[in-house]
Amino acid sequence: MTRFSRLTLPALILGATALTALPLAAQTTLTVARSVDADGLDPQKVSTTQSSQVTDLIFDTLVTLDASGVAHPGLAESWEISEDNLTYSFTLREGISCHDGSAFGPEDVVFTFERAVAPETMNPRRSQYGPIESVTSEGNVVKVRMTEPYGPFLSYLGSFSIPMICRSSVAADGNFTPVGTGPFTLVEWSRNDHITLKANDAYQGFSPLIENKGRPYIDELKLVVIPEAVARMAALRSGEVDLAEPSLEEAAILENEPGFKIYSADLSGQQVMAAFTWKLAPFDNPEVRRAIGMALDRDSYAMIAYEGLVSPTTCPAAPGLIGVDLEKCAAWGTSYDPDAARAIMEGLGYTPQNPLKIKLSVHALPGFDQMHQMMQQHLAEIGVEAELETREVAAFFDQMSQENLRTEGTPVLWTMGYSGVDSDYMTVMWQQPGFVNMGVGAELDTMLADQRMLTGDARVAKLQEVQQYLLENTYAVPLVSPGWNWLWASTDKVDGFRTGFVASIIFNDVKIAE
Amino acid sequence: MSDATLPSRRLPFPAALRRWNIAVGALILTIVVAGALLAPWISPYDPFRMASGPRLSPPTAAHWFGTDELGRDLFSRVLLGARLSLGIGLAAVAAGLTFGVSFGLVIAFYPERVKGLLLRIVDVVYSFPDTLLALALVAFLGPGAENATLAIAISLIPFYARVTYGLAAVERAKPYVEAAQIAGTRATRIMRVQVLPNILQSLIVIGSIGFSSAILSAAGLSFLGLGVQPPSPEWGSILASGRNYIARAPWILIFPGLAICLTVLSFNLIGDGIRDLTDPKGRQRRI
Amino acid sequence: MLTFVARRLLTAAITILVVVFLAGVLIHLVPGDPITAMLAQSGNASAADIARLTGQYGLDKPVWQQTLLYVSNVLQGDLGTTIRGNEPVAPLLLGRLPNTIILAVAGLGTALALGIPMGVIAAVNRGRAADFAVMLIAILGVSIPGFWMGLTFIQFFSLHLGWFPVAGTSARNIVLPALTLGIVHSALVARMTRSALIDILNEDYIRTARARGLREREVLMVHAMRPAMISVVTVVGLVFAHLLGGQVITENVFSWNGIGRLAIQAMLQRDYPLVQGFMVIFATSIVLVTTALDLLYGLLDPRVRRR
Repeated sequence: MTRFSRLTLPALILGATALTALPLAAQTTLTVARSVDADGLDPQKVSTTQSSQVTDLIFDTLVTLDASGVAHPGLAESWEISEDNLTYSFTLREGISCHDGSAFGPEDVVFTFERAVAPETMNPRRSQYGPIESVTSEGNVVKVRMTEPYGPFLSYLGSFSIPMICRSSVAADGNFTPVGTGPFTLVEWSRNDHITLKANDAYQGFSPLIENKGRPYIDELKLVVIPEAVARMAALRSGEVDLAEPSLEEAAILENEPGFKIYSADLSGQQVMAAFTWKLAPFDNPEVRRAIGMALDRDSYAMIAYEGLVSPTTCPAAPGLIGVDLEKCAAWGTSYDPDAARAIMEGLGYTPQNPLKIKLSVHALPGFDQMHQMMQQHLAEIGVEAELETREVAAFFDQMSQENLRTEGTPVLWTMGYSGVDSDYMTVMWQQPGFVNMGVGAELDTMLADQRMLTGDARVAKLQEVQQYLLENTYAVPLVSPGWNWLWASTDKVDGFRTGFVASIIFNDVKIAE
Repeated sequence: MSDATLPSRRLPFPAALRRWNIAVGALILTIVVAGALLAPWISPYDPFRMASGPRLSPPTAAHWFGTDELGRDLFSRVLLGARLSLGIGLAAVAAGLTFGVSFGLVIAFYPERVKGLLLRIVDVVYSFPDTLLALALVAFLGPGAENATLAIAISLIPFYARVTYGLAAVERAKPYVEAAQIAGTRATRIMRVQVLPNILQSLIVIGSIGFSSAILSAAGLSFLGLGVQPPSPEWGSILASGRNYIARAPWILIFPGLAICLTVLSFNLIGDGIRDLTDPKGRQRRI
Repeated sequence: MLTFVARRLLTAAITILVVVFLAGVLIHLVPGDPITAMLAQSGNASAADIARLTGQYGLDKPVWQQTLLYVSNVLQGDLGTTIRGNEPVAPLLLGRLPNTIILAVAGLGTALALGIPMGVIAAVNRGRAADFAVMLIAILGVSIPGFWMGLTFIQFFSLHLGWFPVAGTSARNIVLPALTLGIVHSALVARMTRSALIDILNEDYIRTARARGLREREVLMVHAMRPAMISVVTVVGLVFAHLLGGQVITENVFSWNGIGRLAIQAMLQRDYPLVQGFMVIFATSIVLVTTALDLLYGLLDPRVRRR
């Protein structure tokens, strides 16, 4: 029972404290409505955006990133990288304390890395930690040794992918309670209903993205789950919640309504694209893939399916990330040209009367759903009859892992979203076997492995080589960016809310007007 | 579905139309069925064609029910939706009825001990609300029109089995069945040749009661994203994909919602009227 | 009497056992492999990961062994752990059960509060316009999809009028979901009340009462209502079970923190242990309620005992 039995006692206590502490300002609570809950609060066991958005509030990172993705000090006040790019030495800041009051030190960092890469942890983000050989500490310095150079390491260290966990998070019996050094402390979690967090009084923040480097201004942060979008929007409009994940349909009109604000995660690193089961004829023919790419109208998906709240994109990694150049990509990839596409398909004998039959395999998400119906019609126009198969997300990826291994059967066009703080996520996706077995081949694998070992301009060039390869062979058709959990709406009482990398949500500067 | 008194006699159908609820129900149902059957001929637009009109247009002379978020004509979609919703209902009821009746008959002809146990199991599943059973089944089977239909059909089986058992048990106790048994006729033959024809008419009536439940379950499943998938315009899935326009374009919710209400209402009215007719106490006017 | 109680309790026990068994079997309806499905989300599971999880969930054993394992675990109070978040299922569900019961009782109360007066009005006006109108409203109520009604209520009562909060689990929040459930399930109550009352109003003792010059209101309230209510009580169990079925979607629409909403999330995320646990706990609740009601009728009415 959430409130019925517990209501009276805390109310009395609260009343009593309010009486004794009368001169103080009232406690400020920011209520945030989300569509789904976190899967878990152990950042080494979850990987979905909706989970990391929460863990990111509880845990901080060794380094921080500015808006252009350059690394700055975080829990580490400085660092050095050895000549051979194999050893990173982080000097930790003194005087940082964990939520339970213990001092945050090198043991915690070593613990974090060791637990993260241990096979029994089954960390879904294991590969983002890179080829770690060992992690040791000497006084206040933590040394991370790699077996080979790993270019994206600092970017991942600065994002919610690799948060620092205090040792006291894991009890002797193995149970995990999140204890970190982040701006908020966990008070209570009722799964699929709400997560209550309170401001960490001892907080010291270092991210260049925030102005308030001390304790957050708000006292309490309540993340409630309202699965039904209609109810979520009603709660926002009635003032019951301060901030909410809006439905796209209403966000489009809220933008022009006084009393409300819309926030879009411009550093999301999110990428929505279409891909092919390219082993299955006729998708093994690059010309067919190209024709399909030309049939897809990313501009109208952004404008209509996503209500103009996202931008069309041309690269296989998200705009703003290292090595992503939309103009170059546009030249390498396909653009909307239904006539040329129809000509290619007709040349191969496919017409609206004798269409190529494929499956359009997708999972359900706001915006995606409308886009898929539009894609179906765009494909029909070039003589491709696509049967739409919608699955729930886990089932969908399960299905795709199998579809991508098949060598015969109906070809499948599918869509997916992927996000990250570094273009290196193309490695996770495309290096064989790849995400849901979507890996392409040895040639691409080598390029992807090489970029990890490079830095600076050389790495940018290699990353672009990767994208050129993916686009010219039409393995991927980039569509829009961002695409999920990226949009927020608040009443205008809320000031200072912002979003960070990978659609993280930042409350350090939030103030609530009366 | 409720287990009110079961009809056990032949119904004079034309006379039944004189009852207001049956008459009104039949009228609505006739319109819905006609719409469903004639959909391809009377649809003003292709229900899948986007940009048939402007996006989110309110009802106009050109688009009677308005257009949806992709500019599809809502009237054409609701018409085609009638096919899907009624189709799912029909398939689920037919399958549920077939299996339910078979189980019910078999149970009625089992020896006492086995019968008790089987009946108990049917009662167990029957005590589980049908919507919920369908929901749980789809959760395991996966979403989609076929799975939703299958789940709804299975969820109807216990109800039909229970009812059939009741009817068959009455029939079985009658002298002609006893006579046949003494004459050594095999049980399956008695079921098929003697019992089934006698309870058939009652079963058809009971079948109509399952429809309203099946259509509501199908709409609920689609609404949750577990049933018919877009772009198929099943009523529940139109509601599901249009629900967020409740403030901007309420007609997307109003018309399919009304279609569900009216159709379910028609089945409920007919079911109610039939119960009135067959309830011996309700028949004579005593006031 | 004792044998009646014993038999009824035994039946309930067998019933629950059958449900647990069915829940254990259901997992095998899943197309594909639930473990790969859950690992696919992380995208980089190794063969070793799959083997470990498969062992943990007992999915490498033959179907009958898995099912027996599940049944015996459940009987020891272990419903397994969730796939997402690895939380024990039983405490998670039981923690939400009180909220679900509170809403169900409120919904049932609303259904009775709406249905009984409607049934009375229809019965005393039998055959007249009021009878027609009231019964039409009742049937209309049961014909509206609950989720559609819920969304409309939120839009109107919460947003336009601002009378009730939109989402949450508190005393003020309960009004709209309870009303939604009540309206949908009042039709059966109304119909039962109407037909019971019509029967009783034709009984000889009522005629006698009328002949003695008692006013119609007195006849109705004092002599007819009480016996009619006994008939209504017999459908309460049925209404309750159906109400619980509709409650799942209603909880989700109104963000009510009960086991129904938890179950829907689990169904959408394919968190099978949680869905199984939900079925077991939900069905057990229904069986317990109907058994309790049966025992109650048995106490009240000796005829029931002999059935």
